[in-house]
Amino acid sequence: MIFGLVFWLLVIYFVARGFSSRRRRGYRWLQRELPSWEQKNIINAEQGDAILSLYKLKRIEPRRKMDMVKVLTLIGAIFVGVGVIFFVASNWQRIPAPIKTILIMSVTIFTLYMGYLFSYQKEGFVYLGKSLLLLASLFWGGTIALIGQIYNIPTSQNWFIMLLWAFPIVPIAIFFDNAYVHILASALFLIWNFLYTVNNSVANYYYPIIIFLFMLPTARKLLISRRINIIGLLVASLYCCFYKYEWLSLLVSVGLLIYYLIQREEFVYLYASSLSFIFWTITFFTVRKIHPNFYFFIPIEIILYLTYKDKIRENLIMCLVGLLVWLNLSIYSFCLAFGYKFNVINFIVMQSLAGMVIYIIGIISKNREYVFSEIYKVFGYLVTFVCTYLLSFQAMIELRAQVGLNNVYLAVCSFLIGIMALLVTNEARKGYFENKAVRLELFALASALLVNLILLASPSVLTCTLAANAVLVIFAIINIFLGVELKMSSIFTAGTVIFALFIITRYIDVGWKLKEKSLFFIVGGLIISSLGIFLEKQRRKVIERMKQNE
Amino acid sequence: MNKKIIFFFIAVLWVIVVAAMIISKQSILRKGKAVLLETLPVDPRDLLRGDYVILRYKISTLDLDQVKSEKPYYKTGEVIYVRLEPRDKFWEATAVEVKRSADSGIYIRGKVGYCYRKELGVIYGIESYFVPEGEGREIERNIRREKSSVNVEAVVDSKGNALIKKVYIDKNS
Repeated sequence: MIFGLVFWLLVIYFVARGFSSRRRRGYRWLQRELPSWEQKNIINAEQGDAILSLYKLKRIEPRRKMDMVKVLTLIGAIFVGVGVIFFVASNWQRIPAPIKTILIMSVTIFTLYMGYLFSYQKEGFVYLGKSLLLLASLFWGGTIALIGQIYNIPTSQNWFIMLLWAFPIVPIAIFFDNAYVHILASALFLIWNFLYTVNNSVANYYYPIIIFLFMLPTARKLLISRRINIIGLLVASLYCCFYKYEWLSLLVSVGLLIYYLIQREEFVYLYASSLSFIFWTITFFTVRKIHPNFYFFIPIEIILYLTYKDKIRENLIMCLVGLLVWLNLSIYSFCLAFGYKFNVINFIVMQSLAGMVIYIIGIISKNREYVFSEIYKVFGYLVTFVCTYLLSFQAMIELRAQVGLNNVYLAVCSFLIGIMALLVTNEARKGYFENKAVRLELFALASALLVNLILLASPSVLTCTLAANAVLVIFAIINIFLGVELKMSSIFTAGTVIFALFIITRYIDVGWKLKEKSLFFIVGGLIISSLGIFLEKQRRKVIERMKQNE
Repeated sequence: MNKKIIFFFIAVLWVIVVAAMIISKQSILRKGKAVLLETLPVDPRDLLRGDYVILRYKISTLDLDQVKSEKPYYKTGEVIYVRLEPRDKFWEATAVEVKRSADSGIYIRGKVGYCYRKELGVIYGIESYFVPEGEGREIERNIRREKSSVNVEAVVDSKGNALIKKVYIDKNS
């Protein structure tokens, strides 16, 4: 299960990073350029607003220059505050405990007063006032730590120290509108929740309630605070997978979804909610084992609806991952219920087939000009390719010969193949597959499908190894052809990368067994370098030719 | 809202929190009964509060065959009351109860850390003792070389709450 979780988290990371960074870079450029177009009267302000609303973007404020006074007073406050905490930690016993307590408490209240005075009573010292309020909050932490030290409150109750530090500084963050203290309080609540859960082995329902009711509503303008609190909630939801707190995980997920419904412009709430629902379904499995979580369809349908309605491309990846995680956990539940052993080869073959179904949905979406077709295609492609690549290792195939087949996985694989057949025949009947590029894509999918069928049917290690490797070469060749056909250098480059990957891994697969490791590395290095130079030269030539033909 | 009122509210809140912490702990020290406990320490460091010695008491691990117990098994995190009675120099555990008896005996409140077969690990909330910077290591070194032994005088109030009153570090050589 851990292998599966890590695999899907990696898929999310790479796919989302690819899409979001490309998209964000483009949007940031647009947001930066727009004011200059308006200044040069190329467009007017109304047209500028219309362009921004088309991409659901806001106007960015011109960057303010860094205020040295602000930075220095802030750093100074942090240094003094940390210094006092270290002084408390040194447990200097020349001053008696009661005097130390009175001293630090007086300094804390005095600093709080000075912070208030400079923020609201004296004009022109706002930043100094804000920094002093932060300093008072740090001193407050020192005071609580000192009392904990004097009375030897055990370290297993550090969560209590954190709570007593965080709660009383919340009024400064909210009523004095202090961003620094808001960030500090958010971080302290996060640490409190972590320590509380670890030390008490009890679900901490108070944490999400505090965050949803106090911290998030007051952090609307505070990006860092908002991020810390959302990360805190996600961490809380993630713990639930290990500590089996399904209701806590559900509370966090639903809360984040409600926040998104209230603040529709903040996509991050929907991303976080989708991820949290994935954690919830994992927790549901760890608690109930043999009962698949059919309730998962309610939130995933709502999230999918919102993803399409608000056109949030990145979140579709999260939904697809969520559905795949749910499918895997449900299958595992059935395996446990009927007493079948988990089988890693069947698991990978099933992912590969699921990836193919997703890819075909992408092809159909593109034919019919629906939105998000490329997300389905890239995601499905990545899943199928990674699974096929893993299956090409001889060690994997040897595993197949040892463990045999699992009937639950076989049933699901048959079901997925059936869906693929239905989708493809339906589209072919309507004449959507006349395009040469689409036919090439279908050919690649058919080859991958064939390998999966061979793996399921044949126990011969040699046949399976040959088939899995042959399909990798087919993947590479089709990518190169598609790249030339569609005049897209990225697809062409992907083909050369697959080919290089194939050569390198096969060399490692075979060469690692040799006794002479030094020779393995020297020859391997020379082969890989020469291959790299050769492929790069060929790639440049072809791309140059493509550009000339244009 | 008036910022001046908010300032006073925060200041008063902070003073109340500190006062409540001090009063609750002082009340245990004032009203509680002192018991001497035998320990086995090690030394780590806490980021906020500096060096401390982890104290593991003889009463931290109980053999359910040796002490009177209401149940044969306890859940992790379950609150229990351990009856203490003086034996020679130190106080030792004689019984484990889920609800504190009404008799006049000394009961210390603890949480079950683990229960494996007949062995019960209990946490009493007096397992950390904070020392001046650098001293923790020295105490630990001395104990390892059997140059000193550490005993704790704890105070237990009528509700079973315990607090460390004094730590005795006896040099053996």
